[in-house]
Amino acid sequence: MSELRKDPIVGRWVIISPERGKRPSDYATQKREERGGFCPLCPGNEALTPPEIFAFRETGTRPDSPGWSIRVVPNKFPALRSEGGGEPHSDGFFEWMRGVGEHEVVIETPDHNVELPGLPLDHIKKILFVFKLRMEELAKDARFRYVVIFKNRGKEAGASLQHSHSQIIALPIVPKRVHEELEGGRHFYGEKGKCVFCEMMAQERNQGIRIVEENEDFIAFAPFAARFPFETWIFPRSHNSHYSVIEQSQYRTLAEILSRTLKRIDEVLETPPYNMVVHTAPLMEGELPYFHWHIEIIPKVTRIAGFEWGTGFYINPTPPELSAAYLREVVLE
Amino acid sequence: MEVRSVKKILVVDDEEAIRSLYKMELEDAGFEVETADSGSQALEKLETFKPDLVTLDIKMPGMSGLEVLSEIRKISKDLPIILCSAYGEYKQDFSCWASDAYIVKSSDVDELVKTVQRLLEERE
Repeated sequence: MSELRKDPIVGRWVIISPERGKRPSDYATQKREERGGFCPLCPGNEALTPPEIFAFRETGTRPDSPGWSIRVVPNKFPALRSEGGGEPHSDGFFEWMRGVGEHEVVIETPDHNVELPGLPLDHIKKILFVFKLRMEELAKDARFRYVVIFKNRGKEAGASLQHSHSQIIALPIVPKRVHEELEGGRHFYGEKGKCVFCEMMAQERNQGIRIVEENEDFIAFAPFAARFPFETWIFPRSHNSHYSVIEQSQYRTLAEILSRTLKRIDEVLETPPYNMVVHTAPLMEGELPYFHWHIEIIPKVTRIAGFEWGTGFYINPTPPELSAAYLREVVLE
Repeated sequence: MEVRSVKKILVVDDEEAIRSLYKMELEDAGFEVETADSGSQALEKLETFKPDLVTLDIKMPGMSGLEVLSEIRKISKDLPIILCSAYGEYKQDFSCWASDAYIVKSSDVDELVKTVQRLLEERE
């Protein structure tokens, strides 16, 4: 029997339709992609990328040469340009602004064949730290209101290169999805005086049925109104609205839960394509009592079709309780 | 007296009209131009013609421009390569980073000629 479930943050309705096919083996049909071919992100090919903005590198090695462990470069062919202002304009009732923004690529490892969860925890910790550094740096530019950090893995998720990388885009506007979460959080806080994200986490911990992983600082769970099979969110257990205020000791625990969650997803769905997005509060805002930064991981095992486009509803054929159970069953070292 | 050799450009595109247009405009700009109508022919002409720069269409039957780009980069990281496509969205494909420039095709080939000149000057 299907259920209609409402996302408590943004009020989005989801159809949980278990009879449409629910086991991981129904999804795990993706072929592993070839990892060959020429890769402009590999060491030795630094001249083919724009000059690096930041890198962790061996002492004595020069910028834009081999010897790095993590490297950040601007997008060579950016959709948004860093020059100019982002003032709003209008054309009758149409609004527009210049395509101002920064688009950076974080090359997570020099090793073409290693995926993020396969990296040592200390290395993942540094990648998460680089996200914070770049976010803080981009926040200094008064034109930008939001920084989105995301990772695409696999062609179906939008990644054209297999070499492990993530992306950072600074925007002069707050994206609609984040705006909806902010508005939902503000509304709930106005009515109940509490953070909806914290409330959601408290219930998840209480019930336990959708929990995937947990450590002293973070919790990974399949959300109650998951849009997609095996959709998994990672929340910090203490309330913080901005990713950039993460405490130093939490990089290790975040690296740990991220690595373990991705390993579980890889094991259950046989290395699926996925999108991972950091949701954080807008740059200009101080600490917000009604917003809670978090990471959303969405394996790309189903397709969005006419019903979803036409209604804004999602049909999820695997209940999140079942997704979480499958993910929990994986035995990790 | 300095003698400057004529630079050689290899134009790779499956559309004959584009090959002819690019050849005409680049020859008018003083370059020696050879064309190839497929990826495999491009790789052959790379050996025989030995171009100083390649313009490469992305969407071609058989080997795509991005596959050709990958093959060329295994041989040479320095050869300037300009990707040309009617579709701007390929810019989001990081495989394109192995090229030196990306141009959205149009009948106005000024941008192409200027980019060819710029990339060759940068290497002088």
